[in-house]
Order: sequence, then structure tokens, then C-alpha cells
Amino acid sequence: MDLFIQTLINGLLLGGIYISVGIGFALVFGVLEVIDFAVGEYVMVGAFAGSVLAAGLGIDALFVVPLVFVAFYAIGFFVQPFLHHVTTSNVPMPILMALVFTFGVAFFARGGILTTFGPNTREVPTSIATGGVTVSAIGTFPVARVLTGIFGIVAVAAFLYYLYNTKGGLAIRAIAEDRTDARLMGINIARYQSVAYGMYAGLTATAGVFIGIIFAADPGMGMQYTAFAFFMVVLAGMGYLPGIIVSGLVLGVAQAMFSTYVSGAWVFFVLFALVYVVLLVSPQGILGRGEPVS
Amino acid sequence: MSKREGSLPPRLESIVYTADGDGYDWRLAWGIVAVLLVAIPWLGAGTFELRILIGVLMWIGLAQSWNMIGGYAGYLDFGHGAYFGIGAFVTGIAMVSLSLPFLPALVLAGIFGAVFAYAIGVPTLRLKGAYFAIATWAFAEAMRQLALLLDITGGTSGLTLPSTMAAFGIPLPDLPRVIYLYYIMLVLSVGVVVLTYVLFEHHEFGYKVKAVRDNEDAAESLGIDATRIKRQVYVLSCTTAAVLGGAYAFYITFVHPQEVLDSMITAQMVIMALVGGLGTILGPIIGGALIFLLDRLSALYFGSDTMYISLMGLLIMLVVLFAPDGIVGLLTGETDASDIRSNLNSLLEKFKFQ
Repeated sequence: MDLFIQTLINGLLLGGIYISVGIGFALVFGVLEVIDFAVGEYVMVGAFAGSVLAAGLGIDALFVVPLVFVAFYAIGFFVQPFLHHVTTSNVPMPILMALVFTFGVAFFARGGILTTFGPNTREVPTSIATGGVTVSAIGTFPVARVLTGIFGIVAVAAFLYYLYNTKGGLAIRAIAEDRTDARLMGINIARYQSVAYGMYAGLTATAGVFIGIIFAADPGMGMQYTAFAFFMVVLAGMGYLPGIIVSGLVLGVAQAMFSTYVSGAWVFFVLFALVYVVLLVSPQGILGRGEPVS
Repeated sequence: MSKREGSLPPRLESIVYTADGDGYDWRLAWGIVAVLLVAIPWLGAGTFELRILIGVLMWIGLAQSWNMIGGYAGYLDFGHGAYFGIGAFVTGIAMVSLSLPFLPALVLAGIFGAVFAYAIGVPTLRLKGAYFAIATWAFAEAMRQLALLLDITGGTSGLTLPSTMAAFGIPLPDLPRVIYLYYIMLVLSVGVVVLTYVLFEHHEFGYKVKAVRDNEDAAESLGIDATRIKRQVYVLSCTTAAVLGGAYAFYITFVHPQEVLDSMITAQMVIMALVGGLGTILGPIIGGALIFLLDRLSALYFGSDTMYISLMGLLIMLVVLFAPDGIVGLLTGETDASDIRSNLNSLLEKFKFQ
């Protein structure tokens, strides 16, 4: 029973960070209508940025988190216009071309990191997030995981606060609903789409720093988190933000349970098979609240 | 290609136009290319050159196979590489476990690929756009994970195939193996290109496919069974990928899930077709040859296999942004300098944040 509760809590803590990857991804789908194949690569590059900055500045990786957020917010801010251009150009399948574009971004990022840092993993140095927290009668939890879980929850809460309680958030939600109407209401589409994409890139990259603290930065890790992000949005229903919180926690717990009780080897097969089956059976997500297949 | 007058822009015309004729004739050019392709092993090409050519031919075939579903039918199949891997594994398993010769094993790979593609295509083709792309991607990744776990595929250690021409199926004169492999790939690749040309550019079938791609409702109102057409294209394109996968297995004599089911395989097919020109017959030929050679050259000169990944990424971005019709679009004048300029202007427009 102790093992079960420990596994459950570990899973929930992981789920917290997965939500912060999934929620920005889901927002970008809502606002830009683009499926971003580069999502996992933002996690990967974020982990490397954390590793390089922390080692270079000689400070704890936890303190470079704000730096990484700002840097990737800026990167995302200036990537978005390219996507916007592709989705609104007069090619036959603009949305699919944008998807292919993000495919290109993903390759560019992965190839760049592989060429610069080689194929080996890098440690993300931290002295604060080490050791364990002992909870009586349940067990010991690594500090890194606890901090990661807490960060995930705080980041998502801040993100949702911005989205639902500020003027900028209102503008972004208006664009997600109808871009043309939003423009007619005087919203600067270019700016707020860039804000949304910048926040997504920043959030995903900072999640990458925490994931790097737990598992180390690995040039090949991106694919896995792209898979996770797809899993979350497919389960939640494309573009349905609250669903991400459920599906992120489901993902974290399922991963922890699978590794503890079944076998780590089958996790990915089950994950991909589930994405495929859910898309076929219920393309609007298991909660049925996602955007219809168009 | 038969005589087509006045359908080319001046810059291409100056290359193929003959002053004494009343038009240009592609048949001569293609004839010379065909003779060269057949004769090249006897014109001093060594093992190295032939191996490069085998790669070029295989990737032209694969890019063309993706072009059927992705270009002509407009369905972004991000799991096409799964069929390449399935073909490689069926051939490998048939040759290792059933001790079949190569030819029947390759036929088996084709049949297996077709049956599999039909079973997967029926439910998956109900999805559209990005949903189809994600579903096929997830399917392909699931296949890779499965191949790593099963015993019959050799799991994480892979399969080793017989490496002599004795396993081919019919007795052959004693020539270097690479020459036979070159001809196998030549027959298959040219076969795929000719099949695509006949079916999609000359046959009624091709018009139906393009009609469904451009406007499915309108096509259906004209009595075209869109569902059937899409299934046919999907099964055809996946089967050709499976057959090429089988030939690759025999060529490389080692089949491993991380290699033949690598997502880079799908990515390369997409990029080659896109860079060359989607939904054109020449596009995947140009794109396939060009990108494969770029890959080899970058490995040769930079000694780095990873630099090439980012170069490909950059190439995709540039093509999508400025030349969505690919190299063929640039050659035929469909994309010209003014298009690129207007694309650039409209891109700069998107940077106005104030």
C-alpha cells in the first residue's frame, strides 16, 4: 500500500510538469490552429539552456529558470510571425504547411543541439534540488520532483490567471474564438498571437529545465515530450484547456504506475497506441469537449 | 513525355528546345537517361558509386510513394515510414525464419503491406488534416515500439539476413552482388515512378484523386466515391513503400527497429517530396536525388551526420515560407521572384506588433 501511495504521489508530481508542457501547446492550437511538432524540442532545448546557463554562470539551475523563461518567450515571440504568415498564405493547405514548418523547426533545433553538444546527455547542475523529503508513513520523495511538481502547479495557475483575468488574456481568448472578429474589435492579432506563442515557448522550455534536473538533458528527449504533449491534447480534446489538467495528471500517474507495476518497456507502445485509438474512437477527446475534426 | 508545345517557361525552353524542330521532344532525353541508368555498372562505376546510386534510386522511389498520398491526395501521412519498416521486417522474417528466397519474400512484403495498409487505412482515413497526421505518426511510433518488444522481429538486437546472391531465388551468373542490388533498386524505383506517372498524370484515376484533394464535396457530387479513392491511394502508396523496404533489407542485410522504423525515414520522404514539389511527378525525383546527395556530401565533407539534420530543418522552413511549390515550382515559373518578394513582404507585415 505504501508503495502504491508513493507511486501515486510521484505520478502526480510528474503530472504537474506535464500539464505545464501541455497547456501552452493546447493554447497555441486554439489560437494559431497549428499543431506544433516542435513542442518536445522546446523542452529539450530548454533543458540544455538550463544546463549551459547554470554551468556557465556557476549558479544553481533553479535560479536560471526566469532567464530561460525570458529567453524562450523572446524566441517564441519572433517565431510566431512565421507561423502566422504560413497559416494565412494562399497555398492550398495552409494549416498543414504550418505543421510541416514546425516539423522543420523541430529538426533544426535537434540537429543544432546535436551538432553543438554531441549526442551525450548533460547534467543540469543543482545543489538545492537534491536529497529527499521524508513524509512519515508514506516514504521519501526526491526534492527535485517535489519542486518540479510545485513549479508545474504554480506556473499553470499563473498562466490561467493571465488568460482569464487580464485584458491580454481576454484578447488571446478572443483570437482563439474567431480571429477575424477579434481583429474587428481592434485587437492587434500579430502582437497577441506572439504573446501566446511566446508564453507557450517560455513555459515549455522552463518545464524542460525541471525535467532536465530530474532526468538530465538529452538531445534525443524531444520526441518523447512531443509524444506526451500529443497524448495530453488528444485525450483532453484539441483546444480544450481544462482537459489538459486531467490528462496531464493521468499521464504522470499512468507513467509512474506502469514503470512500478508492469514494465517500463511497454510504456511507449501503450502511449502511442492510446493516442491512435482515442483519435479514431473519439477525436474530440475522452471528455468530448475538444474542437471538432475539420 | 510527348510533345507539348509552349507549356514551358523560356528558361527551361532554352535548355530543351531544338532549333530545327517545331517543338521539343523529351523522349530522346529520357531514352538517354534510361540507357545510361542500365549501362552504368559497365561504364566504370565501382562499388562506392553504385551504392550511392542505389540510395538515390531508393529515396526517389520512397519520395514518390509518399507523394501519392501526401502530394496527389493531400493527406499528410506522418507514419509512412512504418510501411517501409514493415516491408523490411516481413522480408527479413520470411528469409530468416521461413528460409524463403528473396523474390517470394519481397512479394510477401508487398502483400503484407497492402493488407496492413487497408486495415489501417479504413479507420484512419476518416480523420482529416492534422488529426490524420497525428494518428499516422502515433501509429508509426507504436509500430517501432512493438518491433523493439517482439521476439519475431529480433527485438532490440534486430535480424541478420543472408548476404549472398544465392538467396535471390533464381540462379544468376557470378557478378558482384552490388550490381544485382543496383538493378533490383533500379527496377523497383523506376517502376514506382512510371506507375505514379501513368496512374496520376495520365489516367482518369489521377483526376479523381486530385478532385477529391481539391474539393471532396464537389468531387462526391460528381459521382466520385471519395472514400474508395482515398483508400486506393493509401494502399498503393503504402505497398510501394513496403516493397522498397523489403529491397532495402536485402541490400543492407541487417534489419533493426531503430533503423528501418526511424521517424527520420518518414521525415526524409516528406522533405524530399516537399522540396521537389508536392503533387508533381518530377518533384520527388529532383528532391529525392538532391537531398540524398546533400546528406552523403555533408557526411563526407563535414564528417557530421547531425549538421545535416539542422540543414534539412532549415530547408523545410525556407521552402514552406517562400517556395511552397518546391523546386519544380521554381523551374516552371509557378514561383518567381515577385512571389518570393510578396511572401517576404507579407511575412514582414506579421512582425508589426504595434
